Amino acid sequence: MIGQLAVSDVDTAAALSIRADVSEVRRASEWLEKTCQERGVPEDETGRLDLCLNEALANALTHGQAGGAPQPIRLRLAVSRENEVAEATVTVSDAGIAFDPLAAVPKLRPKTLAEAEPGGLGLFMIQSITDKLSYRYDDGYNHLSFSVCW
Amino acid sequence: MAIDFEDVNEQLRIISLSGRLDIAGTSEIELKFTTLSTVTSKRVVVDLTSISFLASIGIRALITNAKALQQRGGKMVLFVGDNAVVAKTLEMTGIDVLIPMFTDTVEAQKEALA
Repeated sequence: MIGQLAVSDVDTAAALSIRADVSEVRRASEWLEKTCQERGVPEDETGRLDLCLNEALANALTHGQAGGAPQPIRLRLAVSRENEVAEATVTVSDAGIAFDPLAAVPKLRPKTLAEAEPGGLGLFMIQSITDKLSYRYDDGYNHLSFSVCW
Repeated sequence: MAIDFEDVNEQLRIISLSGRLDIAGTSEIELKFTTLSTVTSKRVVVDLTSISFLASIGIRALITNAKALQQRGGKMVLFVGDNAVVAKTLEMTGIDVLIPMFTDTVEAQKEALA
């Protein structure tokens, strides 16, 4: 059973490498939309993944990388089905400074416009939209994975 | 991204945004949006019915301008129509509590002028 799952995962996985630059974010979104569509991911779930991908890339690009030539950001989409539940997972791997977004405590949402301050919203959105979220730091790379189920 | 505006009367301005309010889209309209929404102390309805994608950077642009407008004695409200994607994102982030959000255009204009 485990072997079968692994095979089906490989069959439906896709990967893309982008430059660590804001001008690449839209290309990443287009890739995600196309690969999700090819793999039968429903439109609403694709939209959730796209929003998380945008926020994850914005964070990675903001935190930046240590000196040297910027390393590309690697993206991976895997779709798996088990019994009646399907799951799509995007992993964003960037060579930036180690940053665990799961350890960041989301700020309290402001109650009035006067109190509202920019910042922290992207993380809050990732945490709210996804069904599963995981992070590991490995080989100099942050690997952030987020999943949606349907 | 496209941005357009219409002055309904001396008090009320409607700013319509369309396209993707992601990093690239927000930077395309940011300056014009700030200029249109904060140079006056008008009441402003921001029409988001044609927004296909709303990221946190776009939300920040809405908050920054709504706040600046309020400090000048103006007021901003959001009109989403039947755009469920945008409405859901605004509700999830609690922005609809900070900037009133309407699905009906008449109600949006009424609240803006209230």
